[in-house]
Amino acid sequence: MSEVRELPLVEAIKEAYRQEMERDESVFMVGQDIAGGIFPHTKGLVEQFGTDRIVDTPLAELGMYGTAFGAAMEGFRPIVDFMFAGFFLNAASPILAQTAQFRFIHGSQMSLPMVITGACGAGMRLGNEHAMLVHNMIAQVPGIKVCMPSTPYDAKGMMIAAIRDDNPVAFIWHLGTMMDRGPVPEEPYVVPLGVADVKREGSDVTLVANGFQYKNAGIVADRLAGEISVEIIDPRSFSPLDIDTILKSLEKTGRLVVVDESWESRSTASEIAAQVVDRGFDLLDAPIRRVTIPNMPLPGGHMEPYVAPNPDAIEAAVRDVCR
Amino acid sequence: MALGKEQMKLLYRNLVRADHFDKMMMNRIMQGKLIGFYHPGDGAMAAGVGASTFLGDDDILNPHHRAHGLGYAAGRGVDIGRYLAEHTGKVDGCCGGRSSFHWSFPEKKMYGASGFIGWHFCPVVGWGWASKRKGNQMVLMASGDGSYGQGGAHEAMLFAMNWKLPIVFFCENNGMAIHSTISDMHPMPDISSLAQGYGMPAVVIDGQDVFAVAETVMAARKHALAGKGPTFVEAKTLRLREHDVGTPDLARAEPREAAYLEELKKRDPVVLATSRVLAEKVLTQKQIDKIYKDAKAEVEQVEKFADDSPVAQPSIEELLAGVYVA
Repeated sequence: MSEVRELPLVEAIKEAYRQEMERDESVFMVGQDIAGGIFPHTKGLVEQFGTDRIVDTPLAELGMYGTAFGAAMEGFRPIVDFMFAGFFLNAASPILAQTAQFRFIHGSQMSLPMVITGACGAGMRLGNEHAMLVHNMIAQVPGIKVCMPSTPYDAKGMMIAAIRDDNPVAFIWHLGTMMDRGPVPEEPYVVPLGVADVKREGSDVTLVANGFQYKNAGIVADRLAGEISVEIIDPRSFSPLDIDTILKSLEKTGRLVVVDESWESRSTASEIAAQVVDRGFDLLDAPIRRVTIPNMPLPGGHMEPYVAPNPDAIEAAVRDVCR
Repeated sequence: MALGKEQMKLLYRNLVRADHFDKMMMNRIMQGKLIGFYHPGDGAMAAGVGASTFLGDDDILNPHHRAHGLGYAAGRGVDIGRYLAEHTGKVDGCCGGRSSFHWSFPEKKMYGASGFIGWHFCPVVGWGWASKRKGNQMVLMASGDGSYGQGGAHEAMLFAMNWKLPIVFFCENNGMAIHSTISDMHPMPDISSLAQGYGMPAVVIDGQDVFAVAETVMAARKHALAGKGPTFVEAKTLRLREHDVGTPDLARAEPREAAYLEELKKRDPVVLATSRVLAEKVLTQKQIDKIYKDAKAEVEQVEKFADDSPVAQPSIEELLAGVYVA
């Protein structure tokens, strides 16, 4: 058996772009400086697909987003790259008020097959706007799917799923995972959206985490090995959210810690906690703990490592529910 | 681009129809027979009719919000029965009764309205981009003078000119946005002056003259389809009524004067078009009477269709099934 090749996460995303653009003429990318490749995930694509399909725009997010939004109505399958996911806020109105809601409001006649993407995450000291995770803001609105990969394998499969999905999908990726290497099959494949993944089996506590925080969860599970058996679940998608996989894990562990690199209030962690209490109250042997950013803007400088979720905070929460 | 007699007849007929539909909507909202707002187009129905009547089937048409796009809908051949059913929350509404007055008609390439004025400056870029890629279609992007306050308007003009997109920016300038006047809100009296900064060809025309509007838009459409890029057509029009039925008709905080409004009425596009078709012997008075009779009958038919349609009240489960493409 030949070994599966390893790729960094950004290269896995690029392979998804390349293979889907080769497969389907209607797929194209629009963004700022994507031809040059500000991140490695678009570098070199313009040589293969030309400027008709790797479209650079002025620094104007409404026009840039509109290129994708309008083209999707006309049968294209755009990928709109905000560079940093937080910049989506410059086009929040058409994304949240129109793209997400248009299909339903207009009688479910139209579909808007498009991917909205961007990088984000604490840890690079880029300031709050570049770091901001916007998954919860988007996932609040029905009509748009939201996901974030934790591994190169998931990144490629979920990006292909997102491009083929007939709904708008926000695909956010964390800068802290950008150069992570992992096995990625060469052929195209799909990792379905809305399906969580049990990434590590355990029996004492269910630890939900993804993106960069999935790595922190792994550090904590290693630290506690032999003492507390940690089951790590990667939700992969925030909307739709696969709560069944979490409930199933709780049948075994009875204890839940949710890590979410977002503000404590109204986060995906809060949503998971609410749904678990709603549907799985009897499964719980301890209160649910959330590990999040406290309700403050994310400070830059040297404060990110202890304000954002980190292994020490996660370990403390796990120990707390396992007392 | 001179119009032929048959084209003039069609424009006249659509103008009379649109005018009847607008008055139908005003009557209905006064009677409590419409959902939401109605923003009357009284005295300003020529621009939409003239801009839309001769578009190609593949062209994308974004209507102006005033009169809820009725002039454009009439010119485009939209089923006004389903349009009204949507405005009354009925099952036969063009969006299943979900959109209130933010109707759409995707099969006519009218992709829908939003409650945010100027929202369309965002997707218009993609409509233009897609039209250029396809090569056989263009975009008629109508909006009012007020919407050009949005930053997105400038992004749209920038992108359109940069990429030579086949878009006609069609501005109905009635000089008012709710209670604000253009002299208070814009530094220049002509919105089309904004296009100059982008090097976009622009023209100011009389939006009360349905024939002049059609001629100009047809020329602009030809320019777009020839790959020469966007143009800006500013149709000067007026507003006879309040912003939306039920709010006071003010300019800033003062009521608009009756004498001024009487003067405006002399510029009613139906009055102007009627004198022209009679003077140029395009139509006889008898033919005009028949057009009016038909328009009245169409209104009755449209209202009956909408009123007979059951109220749309699907279950929560049915509604949830419509949020995502399965």
